[in-house]
Amino acid sequence: MFKRSLIVVFTLMLISCGNDKSEIKNEEKNQVLTLYTHRHYDTDKEIFKAFEEKSGIKINVVKANADELIQKMESEGDQSPADLLLTVDAGRLVRAKSKNLLQEAKSEIISSIVPAHLRDQDNFWFGLTKRARVIVYDKNKIDPSELSTYEDLTNDKWKNKLLIRSSGNIYNQSLMASIIANNGEEVAKDWAAGVVNNFARTPKGNDRDQVKSILAGEGELAIINTYYLGKLINSLDPIEVEAGKAVNVFFPNQEDRGTHINISGIGVAKFAPNKDNAIKFIEYLISKEVQEKFASANYEYPVNVEASSSELLNSWGEFKEDKLNLSKLGELNKKAVILFDEVKWQ
Amino acid sequence: MRFYSKHFKRDFNQWSLYTVAISLFIAIPVFTIIFHLFNGKGEMWDHIVTYFLLDYVLNSIILLFGTGIICFSFGTASAWIVTKYDFPYRKLIEWLLFMPLAIPSYIVAYSYVGLLGNGGTFIRFLNMIGIPIKKIEMMNIYGLIAVLSFSLFPYVYAGTRAMFKSYPNSIRESAYLLGASEIRYFFSVALPLASPAIIGGLFLVFMEVLNDYGAAKYYGINTFTTGIFRTWTALEDIQSSIYLSALLVVLVLFLLAMVKWFRGKKSYALKFNNEDKTKRFNLVGYKKTYLIVVFIPILAGFVFPVIQLLIWAVQTFEVIFNYALFSLVIQSVFVALFTALIIVLTALLLIYFSRWSILKTPRFFPKIATLGYVIPGAIIGIGIIRSSNSIIVFFDTYLNLKVGYLFYGSSVVLIYAYIFRFLAVGYNSIEANTLKLGKHLEQTSYLLGIDKFVTFIKIDLPLLRNSIISAFVLVFIDTLKELPLTLILKPYDLNTLAVKAYEYAEDERVAEASIPALLLILIIAILITLINYKKSKTN
Repeated sequence: MFKRSLIVVFTLMLISCGNDKSEIKNEEKNQVLTLYTHRHYDTDKEIFKAFEEKSGIKINVVKANADELIQKMESEGDQSPADLLLTVDAGRLVRAKSKNLLQEAKSEIISSIVPAHLRDQDNFWFGLTKRARVIVYDKNKIDPSELSTYEDLTNDKWKNKLLIRSSGNIYNQSLMASIIANNGEEVAKDWAAGVVNNFARTPKGNDRDQVKSILAGEGELAIINTYYLGKLINSLDPIEVEAGKAVNVFFPNQEDRGTHINISGIGVAKFAPNKDNAIKFIEYLISKEVQEKFASANYEYPVNVEASSSELLNSWGEFKEDKLNLSKLGELNKKAVILFDEVKWQ
Repeated sequence: MRFYSKHFKRDFNQWSLYTVAISLFIAIPVFTIIFHLFNGKGEMWDHIVTYFLLDYVLNSIILLFGTGIICFSFGTASAWIVTKYDFPYRKLIEWLLFMPLAIPSYIVAYSYVGLLGNGGTFIRFLNMIGIPIKKIEMMNIYGLIAVLSFSLFPYVYAGTRAMFKSYPNSIRESAYLLGASEIRYFFSVALPLASPAIIGGLFLVFMEVLNDYGAAKYYGINTFTTGIFRTWTALEDIQSSIYLSALLVVLVLFLLAMVKWFRGKKSYALKFNNEDKTKRFNLVGYKKTYLIVVFIPILAGFVFPVIQLLIWAVQTFEVIFNYALFSLVIQSVFVALFTALIIVLTALLLIYFSRWSILKTPRFFPKIATLGYVIPGAIIGIGIIRSSNSIIVFFDTYLNLKVGYLFYGSSVVLIYAYIFRFLAVGYNSIEANTLKLGKHLEQTSYLLGIDKFVTFIKIDLPLLRNSIISAFVLVFIDTLKELPLTLILKPYDLNTLAVKAYEYAEDERVAEASIPALLLILIIAILITLINYKKSKTN
């Protein structure tokens, strides 16, 4: 039995190798595109499928954490099958560029649609959708006229009232990076220390949990991503809907630089075997119809100005966004984390 | 351990060579990591030492200590009760005690917040019956200990139960005749005799605890593994994260050395009692309260989380459920079966080759091959991608062969990665039991002129059947739940339930993750039922 099972195993292994070979051969004949993505939304899947049907290009998807994908591309070197890297923040794209993993993508269409502050100056990456990091507050306890800026959150009046997740989260890191970029390192460090001082509790859970904690009365205001609030309000879990409806959105810093935004963005891989297909795909993603789909199904703000955003997003009102070039967020990301550690922001 | 035995030439045989060769091949990623250590410490290392290292070490020790005690107590006590006593639905309860393993621990962590957090199911129930309570805080280190313990104790239960079952009645009878009480028999005879299995199980628990990422991150606890990820992703210093992984490996080597020391001091060879023939007692009188010890872990590790998952499943059913999920079920099962088969075979090869090796040194090598269990999956991923990339480049430059397709998007690398990752699970469960076999049977068989393979197949294999089956099941379950390696190494077209559940959970859509998670549980339940059915038939 032992020997027999050994034979079975090796045969199976051989068969599985054989399959892979023939698949590759087939793919060489057809048009393909290999996408490394950190996004795993059902909406994306539909959008990819529509692109496949429209263009006849088959999309191979590798979904993992952006850092793992970057590491994978780095390790694979010029053998990498990746054509595109799609992330949920600008910082990772900046990092990929600085590690020499991306290349310039020249396209009239892309440069005319994506605003300058939402793309790399050398056209190595482009924003696809925007998310704003906003303040949400308990409708019953806080008068919005008391709210003003991110900087004001260190004010003593918010002591033991502020909820925010841990510093390991990329959106917090980007916010911190934007504060360093706008106010300088020292002010930023004091700001972070002031926020820690006003924590309602040690940071834990995700963005949705912060809102649920407001509903439970553990704190009165929270810093979260608009995208998650959209998901919360449209959740299938009644508790989440209740939490989402208990709060209002406040866009900070409207009188000065504007509310901090981050992007989900995409770049063409340095050793992309199918560069033309990759550019075609980016053009497709920023087209009006796809952008509207991102907005309506995934509660992200479109980068294409012609695309209308969804009803829910409109209900929160228009806002002025911080036009800081997003490359800065990537460059300052590490500094932001170091400062977080120094002020013991868990 | 001596590398140069006086009788090296005389004692060296082919089995020594095979043991070393297979172990080293599996352990390649370990060497890749060790190799990276020589690049010096990363630039953020001092920052980590200043702000975090103490935190990581202390938290990890508290976690190991807490989970160790709980898993030991519930694992051994429940194994004892189901093997010694008879009571209604015993068979059902015996396999329910395995079921907590079926739920990925990060899902258990989420479901407890769903039960006990703000507006949680259980909290609403308490409010309904008039107890005004806002929530029961789970998101701290004690909560994490509870969650990890109740989802991991079956590792201790599984091995210990197999061990208890094999005790001949004569031991117990002797103990009682000599006047020992049940408690005394349990602590002075049953437990010490089962120590290889208990330690083996605890070791698996410890490795899982050290490797946990999802639950610790969600609960906001800094551990080695969350630190490794933070160093890598946020501080952009992969070198220091490899340093941290190496420290973790040192910690494990220390634990391993302790296991070896402990086992080295005592070695038991029992006369083997085949199958489940132990005489059972009925639970009567006050002894019925013993069942509490069995019910607590079943409720905490399985029933409560499943209740929450079911509630979420009902909420999300219309949106999430579709027939494509069945294809995920088939793919997940196929990959897990295949992996479990290969790992059990590899474990047996290593265990027996090193037994047959006369030289003692090679017997240490399989331990290196089992280190993959403790290194965070993502770091293993890096090690494997780097190693395979060197191979691709080698073939390309020197032989002008393009072999990239064998590595990218194919299942070969993924299966290799699983072997590296989970060999410990198969190896430890089986090895503990081979120790118990002793050498007498083998030697008798050799004396009768029967060769090694035939002896192995005719004598050892049937005797090891139970532990092989439980090793197979454990590896199957682990593979089914595995995440980081699957994500980064899987072929493009392969999709598993664990990946699906993770995609939803990662997007903070925990309720949506419930249906794939429940399907995972269902698969494992069916597997365990099948095995029990087969067993009772052969009996």
